[in-house]
Amino acid sequence: MIKNYTKLAWRNLLKDKAYSAINILGLSIGMAVALLIALWIWDEVTFNEYHKNHKQIAQVLGNQTVNGEIETYTSVAMPLGNELRTLFGADFKHVSMASWNFRHTLAIGDKKINQEGMWVEPVFPAMFTLKILNGKLLGLDDPTSIMLSESVAKALFGKEDPLNKLIKMDNKDSYKVTGVYEDLPKNTTLSGVKILLPWEKYLATEPWLNKAKTEWGNHSFQTFVQINDKAIFDKVTNKIKNASMIHLKEAVNGKEELLLQPMDNWRLHNEFKNGKLQGGRIQFVWLFSIIGFFVLLLACINFMNLSTARSEKRAKEVGIRKTVGSLRRQLVGQFLSESVLVALIAILFSITMVQLLLPFFNEMADKNTSVPWSNGLFWLIILCFTIATGLIAGSYPAFYLSSFKPIQVLKGTYRIGRFASLPRKVLVVIQFTVSITLIIGTIIVFQQIEFAKNRPVGYTRSGLITVDMTTPDLYRHYDVIRGDLLATGMVENMAESSSPTTMVNSTNIGFSWDGKDINSLPSLGTIGVTHEYGKTIGWKIKEGRDFSKDFATDSNAFILNEAAVKLTRLKNIIGKNIKWGDKQFTVVGIVNDMVMQSPYSPVQPTVFLMNPEWANLITIRMKANSSIPDALSKISKVFKKYNPGAPFVYQFTDEEYGKKFSDEERIGNLALFFAVLAILISCLGLFGLASFVAEQRTKEIGVRKVLGATILNIWGMVSKEFVLLVVISFLIAIPIAWFNLHQWLQGYEYRTEISFWVFVLAGMGAMLITLLTVSFQAIKAALANPVKSLRTE
Amino acid sequence: MLLQLNKIFKWVNVGGSRTFLLRDINLTVQQGEFISIMGPSGSGKSTLLHIIGMLDDADEGEYVFADQNVFKLKEKQRSQLYKQHIGFVFQAYHLIDELTVYENIETPLIYQDMKGSERKAVVADILDRFGIVGKKDLFPSQLSGGQQQLVGIARALASNPKVILADEPTGNLNSKQGEEIMELFKKLNKEDGVTIIQVTHSEKNASYGSRTIHLLDGRVDQIVNS
Repeated sequence: MIKNYTKLAWRNLLKDKAYSAINILGLSIGMAVALLIALWIWDEVTFNEYHKNHKQIAQVLGNQTVNGEIETYTSVAMPLGNELRTLFGADFKHVSMASWNFRHTLAIGDKKINQEGMWVEPVFPAMFTLKILNGKLLGLDDPTSIMLSESVAKALFGKEDPLNKLIKMDNKDSYKVTGVYEDLPKNTTLSGVKILLPWEKYLATEPWLNKAKTEWGNHSFQTFVQINDKAIFDKVTNKIKNASMIHLKEAVNGKEELLLQPMDNWRLHNEFKNGKLQGGRIQFVWLFSIIGFFVLLLACINFMNLSTARSEKRAKEVGIRKTVGSLRRQLVGQFLSESVLVALIAILFSITMVQLLLPFFNEMADKNTSVPWSNGLFWLIILCFTIATGLIAGSYPAFYLSSFKPIQVLKGTYRIGRFASLPRKVLVVIQFTVSITLIIGTIIVFQQIEFAKNRPVGYTRSGLITVDMTTPDLYRHYDVIRGDLLATGMVENMAESSSPTTMVNSTNIGFSWDGKDINSLPSLGTIGVTHEYGKTIGWKIKEGRDFSKDFATDSNAFILNEAAVKLTRLKNIIGKNIKWGDKQFTVVGIVNDMVMQSPYSPVQPTVFLMNPEWANLITIRMKANSSIPDALSKISKVFKKYNPGAPFVYQFTDEEYGKKFSDEERIGNLALFFAVLAILISCLGLFGLASFVAEQRTKEIGVRKVLGATILNIWGMVSKEFVLLVVISFLIAIPIAWFNLHQWLQGYEYRTEISFWVFVLAGMGAMLITLLTVSFQAIKAALANPVKSLRTE
Repeated sequence: MLLQLNKIFKWVNVGGSRTFLLRDINLTVQQGEFISIMGPSGSGKSTLLHIIGMLDDADEGEYVFADQNVFKLKEKQRSQLYKQHIGFVFQAYHLIDELTVYENIETPLIYQDMKGSERKAVVADILDRFGIVGKKDLFPSQLSGGQQQLVGIARALASNPKVILADEPTGNLNSKQGEEIMELFKKLNKEDGVTIIQVTHSEKNASYGSRTIHLLDGRVDQIVNS
């Protein structure tokens, strides 16, 4: 019987090729979208599973009460590592302190590359189950050792064996290669860590690091732990909660509670509000799951609509089959096997589509996913998914078609009444509601990005480049480097600072001033700069003056941004003193707020102080009229001269600033991509439906034409029905879209208003697309010769 | 006795008033009879045939087919009864356009859950009997009206029914084709003992039968035995 069904289904497909093509194409696109989203979600939910101990690994975070609010930081104090090991050793299998992922210059003879890496304790590679390709897992035992990822080893040594070779780092010390590990895949949090360096050596690189060994107030490090197999995160968190507070009490009035952030949460549940987990990227997983579901639903609706619209053609067959003895159940079976066949054909197309779209999709989503061709489970899931889709898409048509009464259809008295098309209309409304909602959503996402992009940043961004001072050669040569750069004629100004304009690298507490509320513990961004910093970036002094060489006292001066002034609640602040630690600073100027962090958040209260000692970054402003390649080549010569041990690597501030939008832009692009496909699917369905409506009404149209209707009349008559459906969808979509986007925008403190024109635009767009789609069929029907259409009756 | 209708009533309610389609129909049909049902348009011929064919229900009355009370059977049992014993022939042939001659004839056998090999033998036998072996792979659209009706009858006979119900089987055919079809019915009735109940407009076709039932406004007007 299955064979019989399949044969018949196949013939039916071939018989009406246009119909089948629309059906299969629509379903393929829908399934392709669902597959792409499934691959994306799979990649997200299996994030970090490369590490075999991902269920036991956690990072220690600190909930700090600052300015009356609880903020969650990943930075902790250095003594914490030993404290956890000694006091809570029963709960932890491994504890490793780690630095941030710093950029370093690695050199072998003349070959120099810049790579990022972390200083970690020897147990780190084992804890994160790095795959050792060469050398040993415990490679960081020796303080002069270095472990490389495979890609770095290749870049430095090519085909040579890197083991035990010496690498000069940052033009200072040499390190011996003791291990090469497989690069961490893109779907791990630590994928950017390309080299591993010994913790012990780290402490010897700077005096303040050595000092930090016993300082509980210096939060500049990370702690990773692996709990015992039987331990439970929550219970361990409860035990270690106050581990740092006990020591802090003596030092400051702040409050800190420790907590464990399990590795399985690092990717998707990583946002904290008031010290509590508040979600994170998981919202995108939900968002895309919903989009995927709806796009697939749209495709299934197409199938349902086209199948039932075509029912008049199948009605006779149903009648005959029933009179020769078919049970309804058997007819349902027949129609379902037809839809499953269509789904099976569609999945072939959609897998092909996915394969073709994947490079583009990966680029857009910043992923590295692929179709797991050789995974049997994948194919089993695909098969189940396909059959399920076929059954869902075929369910309504199957029950609808098999319900026909044989006498009616065979007598020819059977007509699809007004009532019969109601479910179809409801389905079309669902399709367009989803499409319009997606259009509105996409527009608002981009509007929000544009809104934040147009936010005045408070300095002149274009023409700025920054250079990390990775080697000691660049330090203490400020004036000569600056002089040489200016002498190129391409550089307008140059300065050094402890943060780029796109970041605030350090935030501190311990400030006080006259009239400060004793109970508050304000924290301010602190940026050390050189005299020329303000002129270089082009900040705007609002009151007072910029740092100047004319005042020797400026080494004890502060320039505050507007947000900081507001925080102090001081009036006429110029000339007043602010105490930081045990040192007095005088406020000499107020600078307009600059957007240095998230473009969606309020500006952080920040103080700038004249402290070249802190600087680790050079900012250069190129002359506006100079050609950038020329300027860069001349600048690079200066750096080669003073910093021969490192390659000349720079960042455009414009680009760095642009990266702040990459997450939102990525989401926006993906949403746009899916919205376009959703609309395409809906239009395909509409096109097919319009052709059936036109066909069904051929006689009516013929009669009307004979009675004197113009082509315009007929066009209006056929289109009106669909236009009405779009209007209804529009009215339903407005509140749904408004509510959801309003919620989404609440996540941004600096956010655009949802303006009415967005809805109007989306509605008009949907209407236009509908008219274009339907008009083709409507005009075709209107142009037909009535004599012909009437004769067919 | 093959089937018996007792006091069959069927009506529709139109705007509060009741219109009778059938009124007090009593009919007994013996195995091997050839019955014609005649009457003007709207007299209830087709409705009666549909009730006999179990495609439709009566509103009142009793219908006994092969000793079973049809109206009291469950859907599944009724379907079982009907697909074993009844074959339908239509005025408009009603072949499935997407199936070949062979497959059209095979369809009722599939619904009787007959095994593949057995089906093949039955279909081959019927094709042979009707002399249409050469046409077995053609689709209905490739056949003339008479040939299509021949296939329609072949299909009705495939399941070896006790009775064939024919609703104006020659209505769409020219007189020569019509005559051939009627001769075929006669032969089936005489030689194979198949009971035939046909609805017809033509006196000539009616005369093939052994009994003619004249309907008027839903009731039996007269019964003529020939």
